[in-house]
Amino acid sequence: MQNTKDTFYITLRTRLAAVNPARTMTLRAVTRPGMLVGEAEPPMPQPMLDTFTLTWTAFEADLQLPAILARMTCELQYSTAGTQASAGLDRGRCLEEMDYEVLKLLYPYSAQKMNYTQNPAAALETMVFWSEPAFTPIVTLRDRLSRTAKVTVFAFQELGEQ
Amino acid sequence: MADLSTQNPSGLAQRVATALLRAGGGTTACLQMPPLQGDATNAAQIGLNPPGLLSLPLAPAVFRKARVTMQEGELPKYELLLSADAVAAQVTQLQLSSAQTLFSMACGVVVAGKLFLIEAVSASESQGTAYLYRLLLQEACGEWPA
Repeated sequence: MQNTKDTFYITLRTRLAAVNPARTMTLRAVTRPGMLVGEAEPPMPQPMLDTFTLTWTAFEADLQLPAILARMTCELQYSTAGTQASAGLDRGRCLEEMDYEVLKLLYPYSAQKMNYTQNPAAALETMVFWSEPAFTPIVTLRDRLSRTAKVTVFAFQELGEQ
Repeated sequence: MADLSTQNPSGLAQRVATALLRAGGGTTACLQMPPLQGDATNAAQIGLNPPGLLSLPLAPAVFRKARVTMQEGELPKYELLLSADAVAAQVTQLQLSSAQTLFSMACGVVVAGKLFLIEAVSASESQGTAYLYRLLLQEACGEWPA
């Protein structure tokens, strides 16, 4: 299942760099596209603004098929307080921009499954595919607007895959 | 209206704070900092490569349990009082813009071999210069060699 999670993250992060090259962040002394895997970064007291945080939640396995079909839920959490130049009054517009980016990042809804534990990464035999996003209502906390987009990610567990 | 009276900073508050922290059982706290040259590979972003954190000692410091209302199931919170002189020395050495940057870059604090997560940072100032930093910490699960 880890290859599925890694493939999903790196696919979306690569697409983000193309969709909005200006959306970057500096984390652990590296400037990179504004997307991170929550479980692979140090815990933070507050989520980073203007970035996408991937959180893996539900997991189910369908054992009735020739190969195990893993079904995992990934939550893309993002929040913004607008820009400093507009004193935060554009926070609604900034959130809408991130909503639209989520739609563009997720399409097309599949990618070749990769094994990133090898260098260079090796392509596996099956695909990772996912559902359309389900957006939650906006959560407002003072000047911070947040939203979560839930996506169900599917992948077959290949023979010999960890 | 601006205060235009003359004030000559003497560093007195910083020296008093450092002396008090030392006298109050001053210990050493180690900030866990990312390496100056970060790892930009895919493996580092998916939890494959060890982060190679640097341990940045800060002393004198006083560590104590925070006086906050406890909720059921909530981990205890602690506070760490740090000498502003010690923090300023590390900020200068790392060529950072401010102490806030130093604390925001840190992945946690190790005190007596126990890892704590930084929840909030506040500074006490005299004449516009910090003399004491107060870090609100939450206990993490990790154990670090002392």
